[in-house]
Amino acid sequence: MRALDRKLLRDLWNVRSQVLAIALVVSSGIALLVMAQGVFGSLLTTRDAYYTRYAFADVFAGAKRVPNWVEERIAAIPGVKQVQTRVVVSVSLDVAGVSDPINGRLISLPDRGRPALNDVALRRGRFLDPDRAEEALVGERFAEAHGLDLGDRLFAVINGRRQPLEIVGVALSPEYVYGIGPGELVPDPEHFGFLWMSRRHLATAFEMEGGFNDVALTLADRSPSLERAAIVELDAILDPYGGLGAISRADQTSNWYLQNELSQLENMGLLIPLIFLAVATFLLNVVLRRTVAVQREQIAALKALGYSNLRLGVHYVQWAVVVVALGALLGIVAGLFLARGMLGIYMEYFRFPLLIYNVSASSILIAVGVSLAAAAVGALGAVRSVVSLPPAEAMRPAAPETFRVSLFERLGARRWLSQPARMVLRNLSRRPVRAGLSIVGIAFAGAIMVVGWSMIDSMDELLEVQFNIVQRQDLSVSFFEPVERRAVHELAALSGVLQVEPTNGVAARLRNGHLQKQTAIQALAPDARLRRVVDLDYRAIRLDRPGLVLSTLLAEQLRVEPGDTLVVEIMEDSRPVREVVLTDTVDDLLGVTAYMEQESLRRLVRRDDTITGAMLKIDTLAEERLYGLLKAMPAVAGATLRSAALQSIRTYMLDNMAMMMNVNLLFAVIIAFGVIYNTARISLSETSRELASLRVIGFTRGEISSILLGELGILTLASIPLGLLLGFAMITGVMSVFESELFRLPVVVEPSTFLVSAATVLGSMAISAWTVRRKLHDLDLVAVLKTRE
Amino acid sequence: MDAAAPAATAESTELPPVFAMRGVTKVYVMGEVEVYALRGVDLELHEGEFTVLLGPSGSGKSTLLNILGGLDRPTAGRVTYRAGDLSEAGERALTRYRRRHVGFVFQFYNLIPSLTARENVALVTEIAGDPIAPEEALALVGLKYRLDHFPSQMSGGEQQRVAIARAIAKRPDVLLCDEPTGALDISTGIAVLGALERVNSELGTTTAVITHNAAISAMADRVISLADGLITSDVRNATKQPAATIEW
Repeated sequence: MRALDRKLLRDLWNVRSQVLAIALVVSSGIALLVMAQGVFGSLLTTRDAYYTRYAFADVFAGAKRVPNWVEERIAAIPGVKQVQTRVVVSVSLDVAGVSDPINGRLISLPDRGRPALNDVALRRGRFLDPDRAEEALVGERFAEAHGLDLGDRLFAVINGRRQPLEIVGVALSPEYVYGIGPGELVPDPEHFGFLWMSRRHLATAFEMEGGFNDVALTLADRSPSLERAAIVELDAILDPYGGLGAISRADQTSNWYLQNELSQLENMGLLIPLIFLAVATFLLNVVLRRTVAVQREQIAALKALGYSNLRLGVHYVQWAVVVVALGALLGIVAGLFLARGMLGIYMEYFRFPLLIYNVSASSILIAVGVSLAAAAVGALGAVRSVVSLPPAEAMRPAAPETFRVSLFERLGARRWLSQPARMVLRNLSRRPVRAGLSIVGIAFAGAIMVVGWSMIDSMDELLEVQFNIVQRQDLSVSFFEPVERRAVHELAALSGVLQVEPTNGVAARLRNGHLQKQTAIQALAPDARLRRVVDLDYRAIRLDRPGLVLSTLLAEQLRVEPGDTLVVEIMEDSRPVREVVLTDTVDDLLGVTAYMEQESLRRLVRRDDTITGAMLKIDTLAEERLYGLLKAMPAVAGATLRSAALQSIRTYMLDNMAMMMNVNLLFAVIIAFGVIYNTARISLSETSRELASLRVIGFTRGEISSILLGELGILTLASIPLGLLLGFAMITGVMSVFESELFRLPVVVEPSTFLVSAATVLGSMAISAWTVRRKLHDLDLVAVLKTRE
Repeated sequence: MDAAAPAATAESTELPPVFAMRGVTKVYVMGEVEVYALRGVDLELHEGEFTVLLGPSGSGKSTLLNILGGLDRPTAGRVTYRAGDLSEAGERALTRYRRRHVGFVFQFYNLIPSLTARENVALVTEIAGDPIAPEEALALVGLKYRLDHFPSQMSGGEQQRVAIARAIAKRPDVLLCDEPTGALDISTGIAVLGALERVNSELGTTTAVITHNAAISAMADRVISLADGLITSDVRNATKQPAATIEW
């Protein structure tokens, strides 16, 4: 090994605690990146393999009732490869010992053989025996949520009649990777379940013999033009049979959510690690700059011995590279470990029968490469200032710094300041840029804490707004078919019902030129109190004008603004196509929705005065009896509890984000400690002579500690407000990346978040100060004074 | 290198000079003040000569040495090393010059604290064309039993001898020493001077030592005195006194 390389290793070893602190910051960034990339890559690969292996369809369509012979016409659509027709029905489920309303979906499986498309993956048990009417396969999460096992029985409530079902198998389907029920945002397997039944028996129970109400198909290729053409043809064929509008795979509910999650992972997986890496690089530069400054005389000696600027440059670049490489190594190991943990959590919500780990090596290499390059550039910058000095000049100790009486003192505080206090102030004001950089570094740590905690604040806010201001019903009821408005009175007459408000929904396709979106238009009464349209500023929007109100995000997707006209294709009844004016947009937080005042919608659809559902406020004491009454009402397709929805969203967010959050917080502490500790150590190495001299003339250890730590304290205190501001700016940026159709998080930073962040930074300072203070105690007075002036 | 015998007589001046300085001036700008370190110095140094540059602090002797060693450039005037012009040389050329021809010894040794004695010498032997083995160079300065000690484990005199070993290991054409005993007590100082003397006599290396300690001038071939940036005297010793007998 070359002597210079030995110097490198020994120098690094001498400052190993600093090296470790920086490497940990680097490793935090890399670990986050590897984690996000690992989760993203694995989910993507797993999804694709699952879709391929279980023949996930390309196009999906529902209808009222289609005769079986139409299947041939569908198969004849140009580009269609395979067709799978099915019977799919929504029911209420009755599980022994559960009083809460449970909604379910029964899906038919072919009587003979396996489905050509959207095959099920059997997890336990066996496939259905087509000769036995009561057999069913049940979705895995539903089975887990209710502790259902093979041989257990449950009941599907069909038209008020209880149809018994026996569980013979537990299954998963590529169609329900993210298994949410209608109107849900987050899977709630306690209140919603999927079951598969033999086609013959399901059709009989629902008077669907000789026909189907759901069709899926695959195309020869997945080109957008072919897909569009097939959807148009399919819609044309299904129209007369009450077609609900075909959708592509991209709009299929489960896949859409999965895709949404993947994009978010992709974005977040880049943004936050980049912030960490930026901080780490910054830190590395500060430390390196100071190290180089301390080694100024060594550099001069090496130059005198004939080492070139280039060789010395390389030497210090290696310094940086070793630190970054160490961090990268730690980060990759930690990241792979964390990715497994995160995937475990994802697997709770996104169910796959297989899991393929796939971490994209290239993206990690790029990140490591970029950090290495940034570190190297920083190192060169640091060393350039020294090598550019003629060696003779560099060999002399740097000229005493020009000190001045600090501004603070000049403003009149001087007479109250002790000599040590003046030293602290003058030390800081002598190098304002460096003091500024330290402040910024520490501020970053505080900022990352703010980002981590305020995510939790934002989620709390989201839930508060959604479930206390927007949705105030206890229970929402949906009907199989639109029912007459007087059903409101029937519901109101049930004992335990305190308040009822009707709702109306209609499947529709919104179009603006070539942009279109399949959605449901939700109709509310202008004076609705249980379900309201509320935007980010808690402004309740009154639906009192004819026309549509869209979620801002939906309006942006369709590129329409208030005042513009949209084409609305109603997918039900007489399937009218209308032009409707967009009257307003609303910055809502959850989902994307189209709202209309109910009378306007009724005129638009040309429907009788019917309702499709109702919002109920109920007396919690009477709820169990009420659920029983509702299940017995033949028109009621399902009932959804607000409390259950709230609970499932809360759990989802906590599960999903808690780990990410904890990881972020851990890394923020690492950054805080890394920056402050390094600042302290460098100050110590720069001022140890001065401090030792003070000890010699009789200062106590406490007094010299207060000089060094006083400087540190001032830097830390100054960084706190900046960190809070920086954190607020960062969270605003992060939230805009987080924005998705699933939810938009409002930027909320609670005072407690500021307090916790500030406390963490101060705590890191205390630990750093304590560590450095011990070094101060070990200061060798004689040795320090013996070395050259 | 011409291994000329130690030049104790004036005849050696017949050889062409190794260094020639003409009208060398060096001005440092310290903030708003201009400090004249050298004010038009003319000087020649010859092959194999052991020269002592004597002067109080601030006389400009360190500046002179730094310019000779290619660590600094004159503000005005001309410096040549053999046929090459140091005053016009660029950074690369000066680095090459230092690497190939010059050995430095500094008052404060300037060893790399994280490297052992042997490794400090290896710093030079690794980049030199025809070096002496580090062990051999250390043996020459009487340190063959201190090979694996770090600077912090050695006395000042030992550190300075490591610095000398480091300086000579490349077989430099010239050895430039800036107050080599300045930080040492007398007995260790004598040991260091002995090492210099031995290098000069055994390897025939042209040696220039700057010091404010007049006693050292007794061991030189030639003694040049500086004051306030100018040469005030240039004397040849009739006889050289061995380093071991010097006292101060």
